[in-house]
Amino acid sequence: MIEAVKSRLIERLEKIVGNQFVSTNPADLYIYSYDLTPAEPHSPDIVVLPQSVEEVQAILKIANEEKIPVIPYIAGGNVGGLTIPLQGGITLDLKRMNRIIEVSETDMYALVEPGVTFGQMKAYLAKNHPTLKYTYAFSPQSTGIIANAIVQGLDNLSFRYGAASHWVTGLEVALATGELVRIGSCAASKTWQAIVPFPELDGLFLGWQGATGVITKMAVSLWPNPPYNEAVTFMAMDIEGAYEIFQSIIRTRIPDDLIGTSFALNKAGVAAYEHKKMCLYPAIHRLPDEPEFVITAELTGNTEKELNAKAEAIGEAVKARCKSYKYTGPETVPSTTAAFPLQALGVLSSGGGLNWVGTYGPMSRWLETVKRGCELQDKYDITRSCYTRIMNEGHFAGLRWMIPYDKGDPTLVERVKDLCAEQLDMVLETGFIPYKTPVWAVRRLEEKVSPDWLKLHRRVKAMLDPNSIMNPGRWGMPLK
Amino acid sequence: MALKDLQEWLYGCAHCGTCKDVLNIFSPACPAGEKYQLESYFPSGKMLIARGIVNGILNLDDDDIRERIYACTGCLSCEQQCGVYHHQHIFETVQALRSEAVTQGSLNPAYMVMVESLKKDDNVFGKPKAERGDWAKGLKIKDAGKEKTDIVYHAGCMLSFEPDLWEVPRSAIKLLKAAGVDIGIMGAEESCCGGRAYEIGYDGEFTKYAEHFLETFNSLGVSSVVTSCSDGYSTFKKLYPKINIEMKFETQHMVEYLDELIKNKKLKLTKKVPLQVTYHDPCHLGRHLGEKGVYDAPRNVLKSVPGIRMVEMERNRENAWCCGAGAGVSQSNEELALWTANERLKEAKATGATALVTACSWCEKNFKDAVKKYGEDIEIYDVAEIACKAL
Repeated sequence: MIEAVKSRLIERLEKIVGNQFVSTNPADLYIYSYDLTPAEPHSPDIVVLPQSVEEVQAILKIANEEKIPVIPYIAGGNVGGLTIPLQGGITLDLKRMNRIIEVSETDMYALVEPGVTFGQMKAYLAKNHPTLKYTYAFSPQSTGIIANAIVQGLDNLSFRYGAASHWVTGLEVALATGELVRIGSCAASKTWQAIVPFPELDGLFLGWQGATGVITKMAVSLWPNPPYNEAVTFMAMDIEGAYEIFQSIIRTRIPDDLIGTSFALNKAGVAAYEHKKMCLYPAIHRLPDEPEFVITAELTGNTEKELNAKAEAIGEAVKARCKSYKYTGPETVPSTTAAFPLQALGVLSSGGGLNWVGTYGPMSRWLETVKRGCELQDKYDITRSCYTRIMNEGHFAGLRWMIPYDKGDPTLVERVKDLCAEQLDMVLETGFIPYKTPVWAVRRLEEKVSPDWLKLHRRVKAMLDPNSIMNPGRWGMPLK
Repeated sequence: MALKDLQEWLYGCAHCGTCKDVLNIFSPACPAGEKYQLESYFPSGKMLIARGIVNGILNLDDDDIRERIYACTGCLSCEQQCGVYHHQHIFETVQALRSEAVTQGSLNPAYMVMVESLKKDDNVFGKPKAERGDWAKGLKIKDAGKEKTDIVYHAGCMLSFEPDLWEVPRSAIKLLKAAGVDIGIMGAEESCCGGRAYEIGYDGEFTKYAEHFLETFNSLGVSSVVTSCSDGYSTFKKLYPKINIEMKFETQHMVEYLDELIKNKKLKLTKKVPLQVTYHDPCHLGRHLGEKGVYDAPRNVLKSVPGIRMVEMERNRENAWCCGAGAGVSQSNEELALWTANERLKEAKATGATALVTACSWCEKNFKDAVKKYGEDIEIYDVAEIACKAL
């Protein structure tokens, strides 16, 4: 950015938010320049922390006028490099906008600002609305509720209700021009309970990685919070067996959450919960008597009797379908849904790096995709670390291979990047679509999609963001 | 720790943000981050600053970068919350950056006065050394440098030179005398423990004071040093073992000693003190001591005072919010120090307590200053002051 423009911009931004919330300090620019993935770092020119919708609008008006990129930021932990400012500009850190504005007990939704985190929501509901719960992502408590919904995150109620973007019941968005729009019932009334029966304009903003506007308010569904919970686990000796166990459980429609992990990843998670460090390098290979996959179904009940009946029904379903497969279980274990999997971060981030090819795709191609993805990990001599979550009662699945790595080891970084590139090509071939899509994967995906989809996509982006200031270089517009 | 020794921890932080809030309570944990909100003020930001400096991307001669490094109260709440294996090395990293800044000559003017005062008068307040024992005037207490005593009471810099707090050491002495303890003080010959010098990166000054302290008390042949200064206490317990001199005496915090005296029925607190109080856990008496954090002793003492009703704040014990004064912040960034203290006072007030009680002179002073600045209607006491009212 030209210095004269920058100075003028800083002066105008300081008038909006106050000088303490505008920074051009090299330390800030460095910290906001990259994330835990191997994405190439790019510095913003300025970091700004607004506190109100009006401030966000004013900042966008200036940025649009000056044609300066704006990158919305909350915690930066998206594992996709999505808040790295590819073309510099303004990093709009929204953490000061952290009000839970409304919780409707009857309509079961919460209206939140972008800085509200999963931790904050959990504590707030526990204290004020204990009969309701939101969902919790496999991520730290500092993860933003809105950020998670924008990137269509998978959470611990995804088996029942699908991806987090499906639970959005209303939006308020500051457009690139600074205009403010409301989407859903809130556009016509004071309530935020539903997107339908309007034309579903939320799709102009959800899944766009902040490339079409800044979401300043979002209403999300809350769910009843039954008092009893537990988990049942199964361990499959091969991936085929894991698939059959999943199918058995899916057809029961019973769990709140249904996930599976490679055995080594599960072991590392258990070690981390015990405050131990388990290094996944060099690659850990499964011993002959060890299982390949660990499957966990999270259950809730209004009574203990209901809970036990659910566990029993799942056990019977698996037993009936999986006679020809080797597995152990069901084992009943305490539910982990009440907590965030924070301790697992000890393993998943040791070395400061975490990368994955995260995808959503059809259960019909799950088995082939998981097998090929794990074989690619073997090829690169990286521990098998498949993580899968069955979504929306089995209509699709979240699937990724979680690869923690040491950011200080350049050779390993390259190996991880090469593995992910090959895994991406493989999943695109089997019909899985990347989510939280890093920019390198966006470009690969754009090569695969139909030209008319791409044309429409770019037309939408151009309509909403005529000067291409919103998180540019990602969805809807390649780098120039 | 030197910057070169940080390599193992530099890539441990994934910037996940878990350090920002108290686990499972999800209330703010980091004073500097909470006040300034920029990522560079949070612990994870500081870990990344360290990475940038070691890798030559950032420089310590940038005043604003150093300001961020010094905007840390060393409360260790981040280390309590962080689940990653490097979690016990976050403040060490900050301290190493401060130490490197000193080595490079990029000094913080606010600390230069303090260090000069240490060199000249053995205290961090620029006060004449001769006045160090003035707090004890009229108490008729033994001079431990001249007379053999069983226990030496170490007041520390803050209690020695802050007349508003003299009631704390005076209460402590009255209690010890009431229990029949053979007690003495070093008076004007008492020195700083060196802990603050260490925390602001002056490793050499710390070593000098640690050696002096250990050699002095070893040669006096005392059985125990008791202090009301939590900073000093954690320095004895946590930092002195880094010095290659054997410590031939015990160290105890005043609240531990009082707890023992009460349990052994050597001290009887009989007078009613009708107060509803909440207890603030000083970071240096809690988290700084790891698993040996002193959490029960002060509460036991307070509970043994007739008439006291105790209520807990939401963030207590290992998860206590800092007072804001630690690691040199009260000397270099008064705004952050007092804002942090006032956040705690608001939390204390919300419990319904009319008084906040603590066991650290730096906390007490900072809270009193915050009351003056922000006007929160709450009284501030040390545990010894409350106990003394019951004599």
